[in-house]
Amino acid sequence: MKIQVNEQALTLPNSMNIEQLLTHLEKPLIGSAVAVNMQIINRSEWATHNINEGDSISLFQAIAGG
Amino acid sequence: MLFEEMMNNDQLVIGDKQFESRLFTGTGKFNDQQTMVAALKASKSELVTMALKRVDMQHKDDDILAPLIKNGMNLLPNTSGARNAKEAVFAAELAREALQTNWVKLEIHPDPKYLLPDPIETLKAAEMLANKGFVILPYVHADPVLCKHLESAGCAAVMPLGAPIGSNKGIKTAEFLDIIIEQATVPVIVDAGLGSPSHAALAMEMGADAVLVNTAIAVAGNPVAMSEAFAKAVQAGRQAYLAGLGGQSTEAVASSPLTAFLEASL
Repeated sequence: MKIQVNEQALTLPNSMNIEQLLTHLEKPLIGSAVAVNMQIINRSEWATHNINEGDSISLFQAIAGG
Repeated sequence: MLFEEMMNNDQLVIGDKQFESRLFTGTGKFNDQQTMVAALKASKSELVTMALKRVDMQHKDDDILAPLIKNGMNLLPNTSGARNAKEAVFAAELAREALQTNWVKLEIHPDPKYLLPDPIETLKAAEMLANKGFVILPYVHADPVLCKHLESAGCAAVMPLGAPIGSNKGIKTAEFLDIIIEQATVPVIVDAGLGSPSHAALAMEMGADAVLVNTAIAVAGNPVAMSEAFAKAVQAGRQAYLAGLGGQSTEAVASSPLTAFLEASL
């Protein structure tokens, strides 16, 4: 399945939900936020929201700042 | 009420949270994570700011979140990087998901040179975020009229600047901060530009409810020691404010009796 994550093309080996995608990308669940096609997905839906072919995923992470 | 009792009961309430410490801190610009955590602990700060960024797929970011949560700090995500109200609302909603808090430091500064906050977009964003149930702490210029508008929009506090972000110049907006503090019915947190503990003490003596310090601590020769110095200054300034500062006058007012006893004949 071909998708985009932060403007980078990516091929997933199988279908997966957002939680599985983060694990697949070795990104932490804590401190992360995810938008699919510019729609923010609530954390409570990460385990049930499946990624679809052609989705554009935006991935954000909490970092140090003032 | 006894003064001691007054000091002991002097808690700051913002939104649904109570704070013992009136020193809020930022997590940016520290050389390393270990120093940051040690400095924030030394500050006794209970509210620390964080930013949000788009993940760089090529690099692994440090996990700075775990030690902050472990030390019981409340997180205040900011909307830094947002150039208008729409982007700020999007950033706030992302931060709410990332950090599981509806608190947000609303900052919109499209100008990269002075990082001065855009008042029009900030007010617009505050109105939108209030409707979405956020506890909003907006970073603004020391503009008393704007601060009243933000209060009416439902902000939980206002965060007027002392000087541009990271400039360490101190309180350049004193006359207007005085007016904001006099008029505000929400806590006033002096943010940005505080470069030394004396600046923080001055803000507190003026009657600010809290201060937010980041750069001055993070870039100090010894950030942990500087953090402690800021904590003491904030406490001293608050105590002085509660104790009631004496008035100023242009002419001298003698502190000793001026009776001419040396000339008195026995």
